[in-house]
Amino acid sequence: MVGFYMDAFFAIVLFSIGMIGVTSKADFLKIFFSLEMLLNAVILILASAAYHLGLTRGLAIAYVIIVIATLEAAAGILIFILSYRKTKEIIPDKMNKAVDDDL
Amino acid sequence: MIMVKIILLAMVIILAAMALLQKKTVPSVISFVMMMFLLGIYYLLMDEKLLGLFQIFVYTGGIVVLTLFGVTVIGAKYPEITNRPWAIVIILIVTIGFLIVPFLIPSMAPAEKAIPASEQVKVFTDRYAELVIFLGVVASSILYGGIRMLHTLKHEKE
Repeated sequence: MVGFYMDAFFAIVLFSIGMIGVTSKADFLKIFFSLEMLLNAVILILASAAYHLGLTRGLAIAYVIIVIATLEAAAGILIFILSYRKTKEIIPDKMNKAVDDDL
Repeated sequence: MIMVKIILLAMVIILAAMALLQKKTVPSVISFVMMMFLLGIYYLLMDEKLLGLFQIFVYTGGIVVLTLFGVTVIGAKYPEITNRPWAIVIILIVTIGFLIVPFLIPSMAPAEKAIPASEQVKVFTDRYAELVIFLGVVASSILYGGIRMLHTLKHEKE
């Protein structure tokens, strides 16, 4: 049980770092990294619960999360590149302004 | 063994923070990739072999290629992070709330009978393999379509 609490503690810290990154006014790449950190924290909790508590159903969900995260990464990076080509901005907060200026 | 695990997880946290705090993009990407790789090693140490290999080859590998592709198109110099003060307060509250939740779990969800490691793959193939393959095909199609679209846009410009 101690092992699960230890993993849960580190997963929560990782989740908090990810949340700080997501809510900051960072560039797209760092927001993307932060989103992946959130997903990694969830996967860490699921794997730990499977190993220490025997909740193995979560493990199957973890595999699905990994595949969906890779899919999301592919779509996200492409949207980022296309919006950069359109607005020449890499910070999502400033993209609205850039689009308004174009119009 | 537990000390090795603690060191691994502490390094994961440090690398995660470094990935967000680095000013240059390439060191940031390297920190992030190392973080994911160490998590994969951690899963392998936990006897979750399939998950560890998935994490290293599919997750880490796929994301490295994609981010490096993005960096080569956009460039390597990005501005510094600025935080929103209200966000930090909310995150602190949420974090403290989450730190309390694990202590409630044993009373909330009693452990079900553990499935041995040799049968875990069977559980996965029985329930989710087709969905994962389908999503993998969709992901690769989006990736291929996106690259083709960029290629076309580039030629249109020329």
